[in-house]
Amino acid sequence: MNNTVSKTSRNSLWVITQGQRTRYSLALVAMGLASVFAIAAPLVGMYALDVVVYRDFSLGTNVLVSLTRELSGSDSFAWYLWLSAAAGVVLTLLAGVFSFLKSRWAAIASEALAQRLRDELFGHLHRLPAAFFDAADSGDLVQRCTSDVETIRVFLQAHVVEIGRAVLLLFAMLPILFWRDYRLAWLSICLMPLLGVGAFVFFRRIKTLFEITDASEGVLTAVLKENLTGIRVVRAFARHDFERDRFGERNRAFRDNYYRLNKVMAIYWCASDFIATCQIGIVLIAGGVFLVEGSLTVGELFVFISQVSMVIWPIRHLGRVLTDSGKAIVALGRVDHILKSPEESVEPTPATGRGRGAITVTNLDFSYPNGQGILRNMSLSVAPGETVALVGPPGCGKTTFIRVLLRFYPYQRGQIKIDDLEINEIDREWIRAQIGVVLQDPFLYAQTIDSNLRVGRPAAPHEDLLQAAQDASLHESISKFADGYDTMVGERGVTLSGGQRQRVALARALLKDPPILVLDDSLSAVDTDTEHRILTALEQRRGRRTTLIVAHRLTTVRNADRILVMDNGRIVQQGSHQQLAEEQGPYRRLCEIQGALDESIRNDLEGLNRG
Amino acid sequence: MDNYDDENYDDGFDELRSSATMQISLWRRLFTFTLPYKAELWVMVVAGSVTALMEMAYPLITKWLIDDVDANGQEADLFFWAMVYLGTCFLMAVSIGSFIWMTSKIRVYASYDIRKAAFANLQNLSFSFFDYRPVGWLMARMTSDCERLTNILAWGLLDLIWGSAVMLGMTVAMLVMNWKLALLVLAIVPFLTWVSIKFQRTILGSARAVRRTNSRITGAYTQGIMGVLTSKTFSREAPNASEFRHLTGDMYIASVRNLTLSAIYIPIILIMSSLAVGLTLAVGGSDMLVGIVEAGTLVAFMMFARHFFDPVEVMGYWFAEMQMAQASAERVLSLIDAEPEIKDSDSVSNAVRIHRSTPQRETRAADGGPVDIHEVELVNVNFAYNTTVPVLRDINLTARKGETIAIVGPTGSGKSTLVNLVCRFYQPTSGQVRIDGIDYRNRSLRWLQSNLGVVLQNAHVFRGTVLENIRYGRLTASDSDVIEAAETVGAHEFINALENGYRTDVGEDGDMLSAGQKQLVSFARAILADPQILVMDEATSSVDTVTEAKIQRSLGQVLSGRISFVIAHRLSTIRNADRIVVLIDGQISEIGDHAELIARGGHYANLYYQQSLQEATRDWPSNRANDQTEDGEDLVEPSPA
Repeated sequence: MNNTVSKTSRNSLWVITQGQRTRYSLALVAMGLASVFAIAAPLVGMYALDVVVYRDFSLGTNVLVSLTRELSGSDSFAWYLWLSAAAGVVLTLLAGVFSFLKSRWAAIASEALAQRLRDELFGHLHRLPAAFFDAADSGDLVQRCTSDVETIRVFLQAHVVEIGRAVLLLFAMLPILFWRDYRLAWLSICLMPLLGVGAFVFFRRIKTLFEITDASEGVLTAVLKENLTGIRVVRAFARHDFERDRFGERNRAFRDNYYRLNKVMAIYWCASDFIATCQIGIVLIAGGVFLVEGSLTVGELFVFISQVSMVIWPIRHLGRVLTDSGKAIVALGRVDHILKSPEESVEPTPATGRGRGAITVTNLDFSYPNGQGILRNMSLSVAPGETVALVGPPGCGKTTFIRVLLRFYPYQRGQIKIDDLEINEIDREWIRAQIGVVLQDPFLYAQTIDSNLRVGRPAAPHEDLLQAAQDASLHESISKFADGYDTMVGERGVTLSGGQRQRVALARALLKDPPILVLDDSLSAVDTDTEHRILTALEQRRGRRTTLIVAHRLTTVRNADRILVMDNGRIVQQGSHQQLAEEQGPYRRLCEIQGALDESIRNDLEGLNRG
Repeated sequence: MDNYDDENYDDGFDELRSSATMQISLWRRLFTFTLPYKAELWVMVVAGSVTALMEMAYPLITKWLIDDVDANGQEADLFFWAMVYLGTCFLMAVSIGSFIWMTSKIRVYASYDIRKAAFANLQNLSFSFFDYRPVGWLMARMTSDCERLTNILAWGLLDLIWGSAVMLGMTVAMLVMNWKLALLVLAIVPFLTWVSIKFQRTILGSARAVRRTNSRITGAYTQGIMGVLTSKTFSREAPNASEFRHLTGDMYIASVRNLTLSAIYIPIILIMSSLAVGLTLAVGGSDMLVGIVEAGTLVAFMMFARHFFDPVEVMGYWFAEMQMAQASAERVLSLIDAEPEIKDSDSVSNAVRIHRSTPQRETRAADGGPVDIHEVELVNVNFAYNTTVPVLRDINLTARKGETIAIVGPTGSGKSTLVNLVCRFYQPTSGQVRIDGIDYRNRSLRWLQSNLGVVLQNAHVFRGTVLENIRYGRLTASDSDVIEAAETVGAHEFINALENGYRTDVGEDGDMLSAGQKQLVSFARAILADPQILVMDEATSSVDTVTEAKIQRSLGQVLSGRISFVIAHRLSTIRNADRIVVLIDGQISEIGDHAELIARGGHYANLYYQQSLQEATRDWPSNRANDQTEDGEDLVEPSPA
C-alpha cells in the first residue's frame, strides 16, 4: 500500500551532530588552547619562584627573562616577578577567552541542532497519519518532544566537547608519557582499567535505577493528577484518607527509589575519587623512588604528575559521561521512534479548484488498524447540494465513515469518490479543502476567537466572518466578552463552554465555505433553542453545499433530504423522515422509544392546549 | 495537558517582586523541613567541613614538604609525606561520598515530606480553593517547585557549609602564615562577591527567559498534537510549522544568550583570581628576596589564592537561585498553609474527639449527633462567591426523608450553587442550612459528606477499572454490590459489553468511556454509597435515549428513602418530583408540585410549555406518525403562552 512515506532514522549520537561538526571541531581546538594556557599560567609562577629561590635567571622563562633585561636594563628580580605576575594574568585571560569561545561555539552548535530537531519533530507530527495518534498517548508524545529533546540538547551542549577532549587527551598524552619514561608511564595508568571497569559497572547499575526512578516518578505524577482533577469527587465522597494512603504509597516509592539511586552515585563518586587520587599517589611515590635513584629529575616528575592528572580527570568522570550518554541515547531512540514513523503519502492535486460536492461510495469495506470500527460493503451516493443525515446507535460506524471520507485512514476495499475522483489517488489537502467538519468535541487553538474562526480562510473579509458567527448563533455570546472577537481562548484566556466551543467550530467551518459540510454530532452541547436557530440559518443556505449530518436528536435529522440509518457498519435503511417513520425498522423504533418516554408530557400538553 | 507554568500564567505570585529582596523568614520556614533529619544534617556538616579542610591540606602538605626538603635536603622523609598525602586522599574520598549520600538523603526525604504535607492539606481544602487554581498549576507546585526548593535546601546548605569552611579555613591559615599577603588576597573578596551576585542574577534572569520560551514550545507541541486532526482538516500544517519556527528561533536566541552569559562569567572569576595570584607572587616574591617570606609559604599562598574564590562563585549561584526561587517557595508554602474555608468548628472537633473515646459509637454519628437525617432545611440562605455579586438570595426550602426536590431555572440562575450549599461544598454567606433543626456548621463535615451521594454533569472517572471506580462510593462493597448498583442505573449492559467487563481499564480521566458512560459510572458510584442525601446535577444529560428510558424506570426505587435534590433537563424527571423549585436570578420564584405550579400559570408553566415544545419536536416525531404527523408540525409553530 502506497499510503505512507518512510524516512531515514537518526538513532545515533554521531549522526545527529551532522551539520555542526565543523563548529564542534573549532570548539575542541579552542578547548585545547584554553587547557594549554590554563596549565601554562601557574607554571610561569612556579618558574618565577625558582628564579627567586635560587637567584638564578637561567631557571626562568626565556621570554620573560629577556623582556626583564630589555625593560629594566638589568637582571632585576622585582621586574621579573611583576612581569611573571602580569604574564600569569595574561595567560589566564587567554585561557578565559578560549574557554569562552569553546562554550559559545558548543552552545551555538547544540542549540542549532536542538532547534532543527524541534522543527523536524513538529513538522513531522503534522504529517503523520491519524492512526499514529490513535495508538499513541498524547502526553507521552509531548514528553518525547520536550524532555527527551532537552536530554539530547544537554548532551550535545555539555558532553560532546568533553568526550572529544577526553579522547584527544588520552591519545595525545599517553604516547608522551611513554616517550618520557615508560616505567612511570605504566605505573601511571595501572589503575585506569579499574576506573574504566568501575565506570561501566556503575553505568549498568545506574541505568536500571534511573529507569525505575523515572517510572515511579511517572506513577506519582499520574496519581497526583488524577487526584487533583477529581478532587471534587474526593471531597464529595469524603475519601481523604483513602487518597492520602494511595498517594503516600507512590510518594514513598518515588522517595525510596530516588534515594537508592543517589546512594549508588555517592558510592561511585567516593570510590572513583579515591582510585584517581591513589593513581596520582602511586606516581608520586614511584617518582620519589626514581628521584632518589637519580633516574628522574624534579622537573620531570612535576610535569609527569600534572599530565597524569589531566588524563585521569576525564576518566574519573567517565561514569557520569556514560550515564548521560546512555540517557541521551535512550531519549534519541524515543524521539527517533516518532521521526521514523511513516508520514502520510503525497498524491497529485487534481486540476479542479473547488469541487462540486458530489460523494459516491461503492462497496466500501473498512476497519481500523486495530481491527475495530468496521464498515461493511457500504454504498451511497450524495448529489451536490443534498442534505443527508446519518443516524444509528453509538459505535455503528457513522464517525468512522466521516474519518475515512476525510482520508484520515486508508480504506481496504471499494471506492470513495468526490466529484468522480477516487480519494485514495488524489492529494489529501485538496480533499480536506472540500470538506468543512465540525466534531462533537472540537479542538480550538489557544489564540483569539478571530484567528480561530479564520483558520480555514485567513483572508476572509470581516462581513463574512460576522455572517458565519451569526449563522452559528455565536455573535451574541462573543459580544458579551470584553474583548469581543479578540478574546483569547484556552488556558490564557476564557474557558468556553461545550456549546460555545461547538458553535465556534461550526462558524469556522461555515467561514471556510467548503462544497461539503460535515456535522458530526456537533450540536449536542448546544441548548435546544439555539440549535433551532442554527438549523434555521443552515436551512436558508440549503442547496448551496452538500451537507452530512450525524446526530442523535431527531429534530436535527428530520428535515434532511435523506436519512441513512446505520447499524454495525452497514446502512440498514435509507429514505426521508416520512418514509422511514412509516417503515417497520430501527428508525421507527428509535422514534418510538423517544416518544414513549414523554408520553405523559404530551398528555399534559394536550391538557394545556385545551385549557 | 494544561500548561499553567509560572512564566505564562498569572497566579498572583509576582516573581520579580518576590525576588527583589531576600526573605529570610521564608527560608527559615522551609528549613524546618530538614530538621527531622538531624543526624544526617550533622554528618553533612562534618563531611562538608572535612572536605574543605582536606582541600586546604593539599597546599599545606606541599608547603611542609618543601619546607622539609629545604631544611633537611636528601634526609627529608618523603615516605612520611606520601603517607600523609594518601591519608588525605582517603579522608577526602570518604567525606565526599558521605556528603553526597547525606545531602541527597535530606533532599529526597524533605521533598517527600513537603509533598506529603501539601497533598494532605489539599485533600481538606474547600471547593472554592480549587475554583481558582487549575490542576496544572497545582501539579507544578507539587513536582518541579518541590524539587527546586529541596535542591536549594540540601545542596545549597551543603555548599554554604563547604564554602564557609574553605574561606574561613584559608583565611585563618593565610593570616597565620603571613597577614600582609593574606590581606592582599582578601581585598579582592568584596569586589568578587559583588560581581558574582550581579552576574548570577543576570544569568538566572536570562535562564528565566529560556524557561518562558520553553514552556511556550511545550504548549505549542501540546496544541499541535491535541489538535492534529483539526489542523489536517483545515490544512494548517504549513502555517502551524512556520509559527512554531518563530518559537524555536526565539528559543535559540534566548538559550545561546543564556549560555554565553555563563561562558563569560566563569573566565571573569578566573581572571580576577589570577590577579590575586599575581599580586601574591609579585609582592610575596619581593618579600622573599629580602627574606621575610619562605618559599613554601609563597607556594601555599599561590595555591590558596587560586582556589580561594571557588566558594564565592558557588555561593553567588545559590544566593541568586534562592532569590529567584522565592516565588516558588511562597507558592509551595501557600499549599501547605492554606486553611480550608469550610471545616469543623472547635466545638465540633471536640465532640468528634469525645465521641471517638465513647463506647457504643455505632448508634451515634462521628460527632456524637444522630446518625439518621430526616430533614434538610434552608433558612434565609444568601450566598455570593465574591461579595459584590449575590448568587442566591433569601432561599427557604425544606426537604424531608423520601422527598425529591427538583430545581429548575435558566442557565446561571444558581441551581448548582444551591445544591453545592446543601452538600456544604460552600457555606451560606448568611442564613442557615439545618439538618434536623441543627445548623450544619455544628455537625461534623466529614459525617455529612460521607452521607452524600453526588452525581455531577461533568462526571469524573479515575484511572483504573470500572469496578474500582464504582467501588469508590463504598470501599467495602463486594463485587456483587457493585454490579447491583450498576444494574440499578442501567450501566450493567454497557459495562458487560466492554472488553474486560467490570475489569476494563477506563484509561486516564476515563478516556475509554463516552461522556454518557462516565455519567452512568458516577451515578452507580453514588448509588453504591447508599447516601441519605442524593444530589444529581444534570446527572444523565449525555446518556443516550434508550438508557435514559431505563434509568427513568428505576429512578423511583433509587430515590426512595432518601432526600434527593435533582437538577435535570428531562421534564419526566422533574414532574415526578415532590416539590419543584423554580430559581430565577438566584431567588425562588415559585415552589410547589407539578400540578400546583402548572395551575398557577407562572414561570414554571411557561418554562414547562416551552421545554415541552422542544422536547416534543425532538422526541416526538411520533409513534403515531402515520396519522398525526400534521399535529406534530403544528406544535412547532410558536404559540402564544
